[in-house]
Amino acid sequence: MNRKIFARTVAIAGAAVLGLISGAFPVQAQEFGPPELIAAAKAEGKLVFYTANFAEVEQLVIKQFNKRFPEIKVEMVRAPGGQLITRVRTEAAAGKLIADVVDHSDRGLMLPMEDMFQDYTPPNAADYNPDALISKKLWPRATIAWSIAYNTELVKDPPKSWMDLTKPEYNKLTGQVFAQSGGTTWTRIMFERQVLGEDYWKKQAATRPVLYPSGAPMADSLVRGEVAMGPLLYNVIYQKKKDGAPVGIFFPPEGAPVNPYASGIPKTAANPNAAKLFLNWCLSKEGQTFMIKELGNLTSLKEPPAYPEGFDPKVVKVWYPKFEDYVKLQATWVAEWDKTFGYRQ
Amino acid sequence: MNGQTSRRSEVVRSVSEGQRAWGGLWVTFLLAILGFLVIYPILMLLLGALTDTNPVVEGISLSHLSVKNFVTVLANPNVAEALANTMIACGGGTLIAVVIGLLFSWIVVRTNTPFKGFIAAASILPLFAPPLVAGVAWAILGSPKTGLINTMFKWVGLDWRVDFYSMWGLVFVFGIYYAPYVYMFTASALRNMDPSLEEAAEISGASAFATLFTVTFPLIMPAIVSGMLLSFIVMLGIYGIPAVLGAPTNLAVLTTYIFKLTNWSPPLYNTAAAVAIILMVVTGLLVFLQQRVLSGRSYTTVAGKAFRPRSLDLGRWRWFTFGLGIVYLLIVVVLPSLALIVAAFRKFMFIRDAASLFDMRQYSLMHFYSIFDNPLTLRSIYNAVEVGVVTAVVGGALAFAIGYTIHRTRVTGRFWIDLISTVPVAIPGLVVGVAYLWAWIGIPGGLYGTIWILALAFIARFMPDTVKSLSTSFMQIHRELEEAAWVCGKGMLETIRTIVLPLARPGVIASMTLLFVLAIRELGSSLFLYTSNTMVMSVLLLDYYEGGNIGKTAAFSIVQTILLGVLIGGANWLSQGSAQGSVARTG
Repeated sequence: MNRKIFARTVAIAGAAVLGLISGAFPVQAQEFGPPELIAAAKAEGKLVFYTANFAEVEQLVIKQFNKRFPEIKVEMVRAPGGQLITRVRTEAAAGKLIADVVDHSDRGLMLPMEDMFQDYTPPNAADYNPDALISKKLWPRATIAWSIAYNTELVKDPPKSWMDLTKPEYNKLTGQVFAQSGGTTWTRIMFERQVLGEDYWKKQAATRPVLYPSGAPMADSLVRGEVAMGPLLYNVIYQKKKDGAPVGIFFPPEGAPVNPYASGIPKTAANPNAAKLFLNWCLSKEGQTFMIKELGNLTSLKEPPAYPEGFDPKVVKVWYPKFEDYVKLQATWVAEWDKTFGYRQ
Repeated sequence: MNGQTSRRSEVVRSVSEGQRAWGGLWVTFLLAILGFLVIYPILMLLLGALTDTNPVVEGISLSHLSVKNFVTVLANPNVAEALANTMIACGGGTLIAVVIGLLFSWIVVRTNTPFKGFIAAASILPLFAPPLVAGVAWAILGSPKTGLINTMFKWVGLDWRVDFYSMWGLVFVFGIYYAPYVYMFTASALRNMDPSLEEAAEISGASAFATLFTVTFPLIMPAIVSGMLLSFIVMLGIYGIPAVLGAPTNLAVLTTYIFKLTNWSPPLYNTAAAVAIILMVVTGLLVFLQQRVLSGRSYTTVAGKAFRPRSLDLGRWRWFTFGLGIVYLLIVVVLPSLALIVAAFRKFMFIRDAASLFDMRQYSLMHFYSIFDNPLTLRSIYNAVEVGVVTAVVGGALAFAIGYTIHRTRVTGRFWIDLISTVPVAIPGLVVGVAYLWAWIGIPGGLYGTIWILALAFIARFMPDTVKSLSTSFMQIHRELEEAAWVCGKGMLETIRTIVLPLARPGVIASMTLLFVLAIRELGSSLFLYTSNTMVMSVLLLDYYEGGNIGKTAAFSIVQTILLGVLIGGANWLSQGSAQGSVARTG
């Protein structure tokens, strides 16, 4: 064991020295961290990544990261939001948390666990929008936005705004993800009430939408024609559009609710350098650009390096929830939403 | 003379005392295993239901116990509605499953219907499909808006419509998918049954029909009741089918209600644990009912006399039974498979009309390329097979030991072994997964994060299925066969090896096969126990589904079905040869 640690130390030091001497680290790589971090990360050679995002989407991110850093193997554990939190808390309490990076969509669930994470600051920390940050330890690796999607084969007169979804002619044609499904949906219903008006839910519920447990099955239903339209996370439906599915997507003029993720490195991480490098890359301009262009994400960078297809920054107003409200209002408002929509608990 | 008698009685007494000591030791050993696998996780679940904390995070404390979660759950009218829906769906589904399973086991084992092997294979095919996939397949077929069945009705000019997003749709799909449980139990019993009893009935003037209902079916009642009960209980714990077919109309059953609780943000595991305990009580009552129905009756039909399996000549009617097999195959296997094939090969699933369905430009291999481009696919297949094999072998051996102890010995404490080994059947997988995590994560020795923790969870979770399935085989073997071996001087282990095991072999193989299939398909317990190195197919399948990829879900489920088909086909081939063949080899 000691011999292993010694060998690793020698390898890290050697790699760092060699790197410095030979100038093996191009200037571009500096944005992902100092040479010694990269050398140490390569010496570790792997990291374990816990995420609440869809595995397939994250596989694309990992693949892209490996184009830049092929020496680092990323092992992923993906679980739905609630289950991931339970797993992390239980593993940590038992002293068996194997995650080097934890990535979650519900910042309200992550903040109480802040002490579990180590201090971490990406090289471009100053470039990030303070509204997206809830802690100096947790960073918005992914930022996803709500849009409205519709089936182009079924809807010849598509909606053009959030308010259009409440039109009587769309009766029984819309779908909705129910409020309890997680942080992203909670963000959306909060936006609806705070921006579109106190009675928006009531108007929307009057069209008798089909309720779904998450955006993915709803996106699939929309493509199949089970429902004709509805609010969907852009990154869920964008992939289908790219594949040629008959869907139209737009960002409504009243605003696009945005949900930044919270990602951090546990204090117990066995591969802290690989974890830092991975997050540095994800949070870098290169990583964010990839996620915007290929996955349909937005970014929490103050100066977005790109926009997803169909997103005009002059027209679309992104809407970040006030984090205080996000935590304080959730239980009451979700219960009221359930009542309004007749969703049985 | 008297001295000899007293010496003999001393020897007998010392032998029986020795046997009692060994018996006690054996029961203690089994109870220790069951305690670790079943009791400990259930206590954790109960603790979770009686508190508002995670026992691992906040520590095990008995100072804040309350029945608040139970009061909350029982006072909620939606839980009562979900429970009522559950009973109707599972009850109706079980009736259909019994009719189908019993009919086809009789057709395959006891008649001269042509192409019986083909019908036999068709009868167990639905078992390969994970519930989630079954739900998706029937949603594609039976959706009132976009279902392929309605599309075809429209195409041929019929004004008919089906709607599977309803209670009757749920009942129908439950019934056809869980008929194989009844089939496996009853076919095994019919195969091992001495036909002389039926022949005697017919010699006495009873018609073939009367014999069937007065002799054959009553004699295999343990198998019918076990299959019926098992299929009902399995339906109680199924999430995938009601999730897909019930969601569009907000038709809730207990499992979908529990899933919501565990998936909400924040998750409500303690409330979910309370619902699970209620479900356990309902199931416990059913098991008790089964014991009452079967107690005090003899069902032995395999005795020490050789027999040939009897085949009833149906004459022209054999083509009718063959036709039934074809119709069943069409409804249960061909249609959902076609739906999955369409979804797996079609670029996307919007199908305007029949012409669009047959438009070959809409089909490609893109979903297959995509799933095999994902490194997790091959890894999950390898892990699932490894876990499946370990579960089947270790779980099968444990179930044999438990089944033999319960049914072939008179050791004190076997009642408790029977009772404890039946308990896990009552717990829905979605909740028991977190109970296993709470219970086993702290165990030293690096169990967490290995394939073994998954295998142990599956062994525990499916122990009732395998023990009950093996029990049917044990109940049919007359004690005289073992007694004959003992008289010949063979010990217990040798008797098990040469008499019981060969006779019970079809049942053992069937149980292990069932365990393998269940392990491959199991999702609920896997969700909390897999790590980055031990992801299994069911978790990845859920991921494809949750990712809204019906095409990839269908493609991956086809891969899984082919894999299961090949492996189970191999197992069936291994288990070919009837009981008497085995006896002939070992006798």
